[in-house]
Amino acid sequence: MEEQPKVGPTALGKLILFLFVLACIAGAAYYFRDMLAPGGRDGSAQVNMDEFKKVEAPDTKGITTVSEYKYVPGEKLPPVKGVSAYKWSATEKVVNFPINVWIGWLPIVAANGGFSPSADSIFAKKYGFKVNLKLIDDPVVARDAFAAGESHVLWGTLDMMVLFAPDLMKDSRSAPRIFQQVDWSSGGDGIVVRGNIASVADLKGKTVVYAQNSPSQYFINNLLLNAGVQPSTVKHKFTATAFEAAAAFVADKSIDACVSWAPDIYNIPEKVKGTRVLTTTAEANKLIADVWAARADFAKDHPEVIKGLVAGIFDGMDRLADATQREKAYQWMAEGYGMQADEVRAMAQDAHSTNFAENKAFFLNANDPANFERSWKNVTFVYRELGLIDTPVRFDEVMDFSALQELDKAGSFAHQKDESRASFAATSYKKISAESPILTQTIRINFYPNSANVFEPQHDESGKAIANTLYDPSVAATLEKVARLVGQYERAVVAVVGHTDSSMKGKGTRFEDVKALSSDRAEAVKQALVKKYNFDPNKFSVEGKGWDEPANPDDPMNQALNRRVEVSVYPPESK
Amino acid sequence: MTTAAPAPAGGPAPPRPGPPASAHTGFLRIREELPAWKAWLLGLLPVLALLALWVFVTTGTAEERVISPTILPSPAEVVASFPLLWFDRALTRNLAVSFWRVVEGFALGVLISFPLGVLMGAFTKVKGAFTPLTVFGAYLPIPTLVPLTLSLFGTGELQKVMFLALAFSIYMVPLFVAAVDAVDDTYLKTAYTLGASKGQAVGRVLLPISWPEIWQAMRLGFGVGWSYILLAEMVDVGRGLGGIIITSQRRGPREHIYLVLVIIVLVAFVTDKLWAAVGRFLFPYREAKR
Repeated sequence: MEEQPKVGPTALGKLILFLFVLACIAGAAYYFRDMLAPGGRDGSAQVNMDEFKKVEAPDTKGITTVSEYKYVPGEKLPPVKGVSAYKWSATEKVVNFPINVWIGWLPIVAANGGFSPSADSIFAKKYGFKVNLKLIDDPVVARDAFAAGESHVLWGTLDMMVLFAPDLMKDSRSAPRIFQQVDWSSGGDGIVVRGNIASVADLKGKTVVYAQNSPSQYFINNLLLNAGVQPSTVKHKFTATAFEAAAAFVADKSIDACVSWAPDIYNIPEKVKGTRVLTTTAEANKLIADVWAARADFAKDHPEVIKGLVAGIFDGMDRLADATQREKAYQWMAEGYGMQADEVRAMAQDAHSTNFAENKAFFLNANDPANFERSWKNVTFVYRELGLIDTPVRFDEVMDFSALQELDKAGSFAHQKDESRASFAATSYKKISAESPILTQTIRINFYPNSANVFEPQHDESGKAIANTLYDPSVAATLEKVARLVGQYERAVVAVVGHTDSSMKGKGTRFEDVKALSSDRAEAVKQALVKKYNFDPNKFSVEGKGWDEPANPDDPMNQALNRRVEVSVYPPESK
Repeated sequence: MTTAAPAPAGGPAPPRPGPPASAHTGFLRIREELPAWKAWLLGLLPVLALLALWVFVTTGTAEERVISPTILPSPAEVVASFPLLWFDRALTRNLAVSFWRVVEGFALGVLISFPLGVLMGAFTKVKGAFTPLTVFGAYLPIPTLVPLTLSLFGTGELQKVMFLALAFSIYMVPLFVAAVDAVDDTYLKTAYTLGASKGQAVGRVLLPISWPEIWQAMRLGFGVGWSYILLAEMVDVGRGLGGIIITSQRRGPREHIYLVLVIIVLVAFVTDKLWAAVGRFLFPYREAKR
């Protein structure tokens, strides 16, 4: 028998070799795991809370209540290049204006006399063109139709525009130009919670479900940031639409809160035991702005049509003042949406139409606490901190108030007065603090010892004030942060509570004096806000707590934390 | 590339006239034998043509292009956004998540549709009972079932797998039925002559003969999951390729939408080749039949 000389490893050897190679591959894969399967970047980024207030340079002199922008929009808007790429017939003159299911479009429906282009519409009769309102409820489809030039107009909330703008501006022709605010969401969006969540701060460690990249995402994360809760400490569950968020919340008991729309936010607490509304845009009534944008190339070629659209929508608001016209508009809207008139009427409270005066405040008043610039910057801040946008678009690259300014000069809508300002009756802190606040924002202003002046200057060694200096240089930015929150919660009442440290406790200082000082400081914050941002003084109630409530009960001697002012937002008293 | 061809039905065919001479001449020849490399090359041509068209409509500055970059970015832009997708959006992890969901949904779908399909193929009464349901299923707009699965299975992994399983089942039951249906009556008759029982007729004749077709049905069916992954991942978006697409539609970059589409196509291509290879290994005689 011939023995074949054995060449190569034995079966066992082969197995070992195979396992060795496998182990090497696995080891290499593990070593390079961050390269091969990176963890990605998502909403878990840590937000620098101090940055929240520093979204604009401090402005110490702004004392006037109305300060209009001085520049011409055309100087800041990106120029339009190339040949216009939208579909347009010079004889037909029909503007394609998609809208979603939202009561805020009632004025344009009223002005247009229904959805289809009509020779009897205000647009045709007064301004010489027709409007084709199309129901495109999916914002992605609406955006794509806009980008493709199929529609001339894009509907959206300001926060959606922040997300859409960078991509749309890759082509200067489809850059969005925002000309008009149609409404403020006013009860249409809201947050429903389960169990014993009383305030936004209680959401820490809990699970929240909402539609990603939608007003819901802005709403909840803005609240979390304002309440000092790191968004990464909350478990976020995402759905594609608000409708699914509500369904998920009802179906899954492990979810503690959902952000959704009317009517779901009101139906859920009625139908599901143990749930309640935490807050809605009925209180945060200047947080979510509905606007429309036109393609830059269209706006450049047809400024008269843009002006007509803006004016026609204001005309529609005038028309709605009449009860019979309003009923007609409900009927038209119901037909356009394929709904019942009753269903449309039931949505009437979801939004507050913004008339000419309110648009002027939004676009032109640089001091308005909830104006376009501040809203845009606030959205940009929230989304950038969440890692959702990289290179944000500046507000003045999309905001175009040229049509508004022309209408202002002509005085066409001088009769429309600002109706969005809530009026308040003076209330005591004791009365409003009986309920728990929706959220509490803690701010720190470095007061000069024993002084209650927020704008206290620095002092030299002899104790003399140094002109043009500030003891707390960031005070304007701090106030700006409060003003934005208070401005967003225009209809809510706000408690300003001052606290002092306890460094002089038991050293002969009387508590009454400390309490008075903390109360004076809270009052000073209130006065500063009222003066610069023109808030109703009765919106605020002021309280001084002295050293009674340390910031952290487990660390009562942390005096730097203890010297603070807490700004709490309370739901308006039910009427 | 092979596709399912229905087994020839009926008895012996009448003698056919031979093919005309023209059938085997010229550029296009009927049932021509083609070397593998030629088939590959031919398959590559339309892909290249499509790519050339893509380049053509997306050349120049944003305003000069036939199709605006806000709708369709150029191939170069799509490729350039790959690192962002790979690192910032964790492509591999999301791909793995989606792939696993498809596998789970598929397994569950087969578990439901295979016995049903075989029983329907074998027994006319079962077929009669379930045919209306499968017909409804084929016409059903599946997206409308998302909220239903949501309330039944919650928002987690279970809902996604169940939704995919449902979609798989609806698609595969008719294919399984057809596979069993296609078994020639001669085989059954022969089995009966040899004294086969009812169970033997199903287990030893219908099933074994239809295995290759059933395999083929599963191969086709597996691809369907990828077309539904977007719907399945609409809830609890965040992980998975569907989530990447939904997010990119809302806040960009547009490039990632097309990149994910390309990746899904590549994955589909590789898995399909795997199915075919395993099929050749399991049923070598199927190829020989040709």
